[in-house]
Amino acid sequence: MQSLRELWGFRATILAFAERDVRVKYKQAVLGIGWAVIQPLAFMTIFTFTIGRLAPVSGEGAPYAAFALAALVPWTFLQTGVSFGSNALLTDGALVRKVYFPREIPVLGALLGAGVDFAIGFVLFICLGPLLGAHFSATWLLVPFLALALGVLGAGVALALAALNVYYRDFRYALPFALQLWLFASPVAYPLSVVPEQWRVLYVVVNPAAGLLDAFRRVLALGQLPQTGPLAASLAGTAIIVYFGYRIFKSLEPNFADVI
Amino acid sequence: MGYAIRFENVTKRYPRGGPRYASLRHDFSEGVRRAGRRLAGQRNEGRGPIALEDLSFEIEEGESYAIVGPNGAGKTTALKLISRISYPTSGRVKVRGRVGALIEVGSGVHPELNARENIWLYGQIMGMSKADVRRRFDEIVEFAELGHALDRPVKMYSSGMQLRLGFAVASHLDPDIFVVDEALAVGDAGFQAKCVERMMKLVAEGRTLLFVSHNLSAVEAVCERGVFLLEGRVQSVEEISPLLRSYLQWTDDHQLKRLEGGVTPVGSAYLELDKATCHDSRGVERYAFSTGDDVEIRLHLRALQPLSYPHVSIGISDGRPGNLALCSMLVDGGAPEVLEGRTVVSCKLRSIPLLPRVYYLCASVRSEHAYGDVFDWQSVGSFRVADAPGLVGPAAQAHASTDGAIYIQHDWEVK
Repeated sequence: MQSLRELWGFRATILAFAERDVRVKYKQAVLGIGWAVIQPLAFMTIFTFTIGRLAPVSGEGAPYAAFALAALVPWTFLQTGVSFGSNALLTDGALVRKVYFPREIPVLGALLGAGVDFAIGFVLFICLGPLLGAHFSATWLLVPFLALALGVLGAGVALALAALNVYYRDFRYALPFALQLWLFASPVAYPLSVVPEQWRVLYVVVNPAAGLLDAFRRVLALGQLPQTGPLAASLAGTAIIVYFGYRIFKSLEPNFADVI
Repeated sequence: MGYAIRFENVTKRYPRGGPRYASLRHDFSEGVRRAGRRLAGQRNEGRGPIALEDLSFEIEEGESYAIVGPNGAGKTTALKLISRISYPTSGRVKVRGRVGALIEVGSGVHPELNARENIWLYGQIMGMSKADVRRRFDEIVEFAELGHALDRPVKMYSSGMQLRLGFAVASHLDPDIFVVDEALAVGDAGFQAKCVERMMKLVAEGRTLLFVSHNLSAVEAVCERGVFLLEGRVQSVEEISPLLRSYLQWTDDHQLKRLEGGVTPVGSAYLELDKATCHDSRGVERYAFSTGDDVEIRLHLRALQPLSYPHVSIGISDGRPGNLALCSMLVDGGAPEVLEGRTVVSCKLRSIPLLPRVYYLCASVRSEHAYGDVFDWQSVGSFRVADAPGLVGPAAQAHASTDGAIYIQHDWEVK
């Protein structure tokens, strides 16, 4: 509790880290902002021409491209946040070894930086979605709240991985692979309804991203409110992951500077 | 007034097997091995090297305090515990007030960003609010003398410029406790003097200063008291002058021991050097001298066959290329007709005009017996000038390690 209060005191530092990440990213990369847009677009194209053509996969009323993009934009946020966040302690190793600040900060800063990419992706959806067949809807106003929940989930995962990464570089190498698996285990290319009804809640608790991505999809592509069941299950799963992720982080934290 | 920092029986061990390159595979196999050893009834060895052992000392509020000791004594580890970067294995480190730490050069300065962005970022990482940074921005830029290069990425800076940036930000943080480690090593003489000034100002304002540096002159100028660490233990806690004296005494003894056991110059088929020693005017062997002392250098030679007219040369350097001085029988004459068996060749230097630092001795012997040298030109020993009584004040000593080595008596006159 005390460390959370301290973290709050350092909130300006989290912002500073995020700002730095964004600045550095766009200084070094020629395409800059483009990268935030290219990934979801590329996946959308591939999915539309492959999985989207399979008979059993439907857009649940929306055209498949809009249906896929509505989940790909938040998925990209989660993926970027987790992969940058879990490497943040290593990339900032020099700082961790020499300057004191709560160790969560680089991780949370990286997530916040990914949030900027998400904002750009959201703008992309606002521009492109209607062309693909999605309709403007008041439900789009829910996006920031869903993004917050997704960010919290990402933080839980990234904190645990970041801490383990300090001790075992193995996690770093396994991560891209694990994220690929996570993508295909989540309803991004296919609808949540593919999962049989009786397993759905359990599935969403185990993979909280699923319920949140489904909620994004309903809100953005279909103009519906999120389904309460999967969303609640998802939030419960998120809470469990954040609790244990933070516990792991805190228990490994004291030796970071010695091991990194 | 109470303490600002207090070490209570602090022990710090680093994780075993060294940091870095841990892997699941390694830990797994290690775990299996340990379990196997336990099954076999053997005891597992303790964990990791000890950096600090049972350390207890106290730094009072508003005090300027030094930690001295050779490399590996645990100085940086102690600072890391104070600034909460690292945690003790056992015991407690109590700290009252906000710590502003400057540990190692340019930590936290991001190479891709320019100086302006770095000041913002670094200030905020160190816990300054945006308003604080805005208020002190110009002061920081001015202190770092980087006004002309504000918009250049820091990766294009020299390491000295990066240091200036880091020190400038850190020293304007308004910490209650200011921790400085080896920060002065990179800056030029002018900036070093400025840093010392800044630290003295902070102390005058009542902040607590903790200073670790191998620049003992700066330590002496800034600190009132300190602790001498050796192999992770407290050797002594004293006022600064006696503390530095006991530290220098230890260095000299240690160096002397190393020289006795150490350096083996390469001999030839004709001649070998057993050792080179330095003596004071009474003939006592010493390592440390003062500016103006008489120094006698003795080369203990062993001729493997009789050598006719061996011309001995001795050079003195301060580590930079080339000799500062050369004493040579090729110039002065005085070579014996023949050298046989064990001989001591002595060269008496009268009142050496050398300022404090370590000097290296080189020697060669040339004889009619061989073309070139019978004893190749090589480093044979060293001595140190520890102080310059009456010549150099503590404030000027910051220059001594970077500027001229030779003291020439002089007078100023302005017309």
